[in-house]
Amino acid sequence: MGFAFRSALLVALAATAACVGEIGDPADGGPASVADVPSAPTLHRLTAIQLENSYRDLLGATLDVPADLPADDTLYGFTSIAAASSTISSVDAEKYEKAAYAVLDQVWADDAWRVALVGCDSTSTSEGCVRAFLITFTERAWRRPVTTKEIDALADLGGEIAADLGDETALELVLASVLQSPSFVFRVEVGEPMPLRRDGLRRYTSYEMASRISFLITDAPPDEELLEAARNGDLLDVDLLDAQARRLVDDPRARPTLVRFFRDFMQIGTLDHLDKSPEQFPAFSPTLGVSMRTEIERMFESVVFDEERDFRTLFTTRETFVDEELARVYGIEGVTGPEWVPVTLPDDGKRGGLLTTAGFLAMNAQKTRTSPTHRGRFIRVNLLCDDIPPPPAGVNTTLPDPAPGSETTLRERLEQHRKDPTCANCHDKMDPLGFAFEEFDAIGAYRTEEDNGLAIDSSTDLDGTPVANGVEMGKLVAKLPAVGACVARRFYEHAGGHLARSGEEVAVATLVDAFAASDYDFKTLVVSMVKNDGFRYAMPEKAEGSK
Amino acid sequence: MKTRVSSLSRVVRPSRRIFLRGLAAGAATVVGLPLFDFMLDDHGEAHADGVAIPTRFGLWFFGNGVRLDSWTPTNTGSDWQPPAGGALEALVPLREHVSVVSGLSVMTPRHPHHSGMATVCSGGPHLKVDDVRDTIVSTFKYPSVDQIAAKYFQDQSPTPYRSLEAAVTRFRGTDEGTTFQYLSHNGSVGGETNVNPSEESPHAFWDRLFNQGDAEPLVKKARARVLDSVGAQIRSLEPKLGARDKQRLDQHLTSITELEDRLAAPIAECSKPGDPGEYPDLGTNEQMTKKNAVMSDLMTLALACGLTQSFSIQYATCGSGAVFWMVGATDGQHYMNHTEPAPHEKQHLAVRFSMEQLAYFLGRMKDTSEGAGNLLDHSSILVCTEHAEGWTHSQDDMPMLICGKGGGRLRGNVHHRDVGGNTTRALLTALRGAGLPLADFGYEAGYTSSPLGELEG
Repeated sequence: MGFAFRSALLVALAATAACVGEIGDPADGGPASVADVPSAPTLHRLTAIQLENSYRDLLGATLDVPADLPADDTLYGFTSIAAASSTISSVDAEKYEKAAYAVLDQVWADDAWRVALVGCDSTSTSEGCVRAFLITFTERAWRRPVTTKEIDALADLGGEIAADLGDETALELVLASVLQSPSFVFRVEVGEPMPLRRDGLRRYTSYEMASRISFLITDAPPDEELLEAARNGDLLDVDLLDAQARRLVDDPRARPTLVRFFRDFMQIGTLDHLDKSPEQFPAFSPTLGVSMRTEIERMFESVVFDEERDFRTLFTTRETFVDEELARVYGIEGVTGPEWVPVTLPDDGKRGGLLTTAGFLAMNAQKTRTSPTHRGRFIRVNLLCDDIPPPPAGVNTTLPDPAPGSETTLRERLEQHRKDPTCANCHDKMDPLGFAFEEFDAIGAYRTEEDNGLAIDSSTDLDGTPVANGVEMGKLVAKLPAVGACVARRFYEHAGGHLARSGEEVAVATLVDAFAASDYDFKTLVVSMVKNDGFRYAMPEKAEGSK
Repeated sequence: MKTRVSSLSRVVRPSRRIFLRGLAAGAATVVGLPLFDFMLDDHGEAHADGVAIPTRFGLWFFGNGVRLDSWTPTNTGSDWQPPAGGALEALVPLREHVSVVSGLSVMTPRHPHHSGMATVCSGGPHLKVDDVRDTIVSTFKYPSVDQIAAKYFQDQSPTPYRSLEAAVTRFRGTDEGTTFQYLSHNGSVGGETNVNPSEESPHAFWDRLFNQGDAEPLVKKARARVLDSVGAQIRSLEPKLGARDKQRLDQHLTSITELEDRLAAPIAECSKPGDPGEYPDLGTNEQMTKKNAVMSDLMTLALACGLTQSFSIQYATCGSGAVFWMVGATDGQHYMNHTEPAPHEKQHLAVRFSMEQLAYFLGRMKDTSEGAGNLLDHSSILVCTEHAEGWTHSQDDMPMLICGKGGGRLRGNVHHRDVGGNTTRALLTALRGAGLPLADFGYEAGYTSSPLGELEG
């Protein structure tokens, strides 16, 4: 238990520093606020990209990683939350086994590669050199110090197998055990007791913090510098943690990793399977959805990493990127081929910001027509963090047909629908927001009239503030404090792999304030997250019953 | 290149006595049987040593309910008749093996889709995951019935795979939890999501079941030792974890143990069918008929070969957005249910088409001879969907079928109507049909001790 490499004094000092004034003063008998309780620790399964990066980190960058790794799920929209909740089914266990042998076989098929990895010609676990390698390899794979007992068990396994298959194959199989271990396929973070606390609060260890920040910011296991900091106990210290987080957020791997957060936040992964009627939309192709997703991700990268601007600029900017397919939807001429080119949209008040991207408009629409309800719902639920319950059971949700002989717009039919108080209760929160985007059809192309020739009316309001159209809606949304608060809350939930619970409202508010105080600098949000009490401490669930 | 462990496991066994022809072409195929004919007693109903031919259990799910007036047979009792042009017409030729159950209600607390899905597949309520938001993301609180049967069978006489899961259409819900993504569930004790994912790629399903060959005995022994060591690592980690994570590691251990047991299991006497390949969309149109045919063929072969005794086929998910383009639909089925005006003709045609796909699978089972009868004689298959009608989310008068003869335990060819009865009655009956010695089944408000006696043989 515990790691022996740190002095007791350092532990005590660090514990004091971490507790006092940050999460309550133990001398006063507990947390500063009864509502301020971090969540219980949880196992985080490595996502497919994290698994791939881990194999490469251990065995070499040139490794050919199999494509059929266990598929990532999402829960509440986030891969990270599903990874903290899902189990390993038997078919997934098969995939882990297959992948372990597939990657190790590549190294073992090449003597030079194997010798370079192991550090000597020998493969006998009874030899000092091989045992030393096994310790290093396992510590790196499991992202923590290993016990003598654990290494002995692996060496014994190697000895048994060597009797049948020889040393060389036996060592490969031992590494296959390391790579199928729960300590590898999960991030095991349970925290350590805090001597000065009597309420059971635990602090994530320096090693656990190394994994937490490394996977959060780079989707990869800790690098050598982070492991060194972990060994030194540095990551219990807020200032040293801050320095590591700042280093990592400027690491090239941070870009794709934080883009993956934004992909989940915006739910734009669904654009890869975009399905629109090709008869109705000649500009549609099976690859258009991917282009739409790519544009939104590039906008995020540009604002957050290249320009380091206020995150909310995303809702108003006319600076974007298009390829030929997307240029066609936007009516931009002169863009040919698959290359992405930066463009500045014309200042004609028609299009600007995230909410008028083809991706946002198309994914919140149906195959043949728009859906003000879905567009409004997305803003309400995903951007303002305001939940909307599903329709009550037993209610007929079919939109009434237009009266015979009368042409109506979709907006008029939805407004009719909302005369029913059962429906209005929730649809009042969604449909009016969506009306602002009726100038854009189901693939996000600009239009002035519906298919039946009736003129579009995009004037509406957001909770009482008048809005003329989609561009205006973006400008209004960008100014709402709720938007910054919502992205901060979702990042908090993504980092911890769970929805924020009532005990975490103080921690969430702290993060929201830090984001606002930085003028919504996304990199500051990431660094603040790492230093947040909710990320550094855990309160185990009370044991219930005897089991 | 040297031969390594993963390639050692690919020593292909010589072809045995089973043939599956024209698999990929979807043409008439012939499935021969490896195991039973020469091993049976004189009556052809049991092995020569007196062990009965096993009864298989299956769960076949389709999404978004039906249109009741075109679904429900016009008469009750035997020789049920669908209404003219009704959704079940394709099943009439298989009627001896198909009973229709109508009128039953979901007894658990109602919620659109979620309660219907969990209750008709597990006999208990759904479980909201992480209950801190006013939006619904759920999983199954209790195991789906295929896993109840799988556990029973595995305790009786283990097969290489505890259960097999296949999917036909590709749509998966993304933001309402596992209830909208998966069919086979293991239940959830503390909010963990514990599913058995369905394979939707024909090639991958074939590769997993029929293309792994057999490893050399010493390599298998060594791989089993490795898995055993992983099991020990799991057990040593468990005491450090909270209750929910212990459950998650328990499942990891169960999965590792299943792999280990499979390495020691007798090799199934299957010869290798051809690689069915993949069926990519044509334009944006999903090749549902062909995918259904090849997944049905592979599952039938796996059952005939004794690779497993319990299976599930997720033809479509709960709340599926699959586009039934072949009946003229242009929107996903879920959205179509909420927008298509009465009389919901496309929804009716989509369900009718889906029942033709079910008929293909049941026909394939029936055409596979086994002993004196066929594979469908020795099966009990529950067919269900999460709503009665999608446009109201109604969960009364639920559409359910029980297919197969259950080794003589099921009569077949009955329409039983029990207005307001508990849907779990059908689950209990289907499980009893597969030989599970159950007097009652279900959980909380879904519990029942009343099987559908009229359906039992």
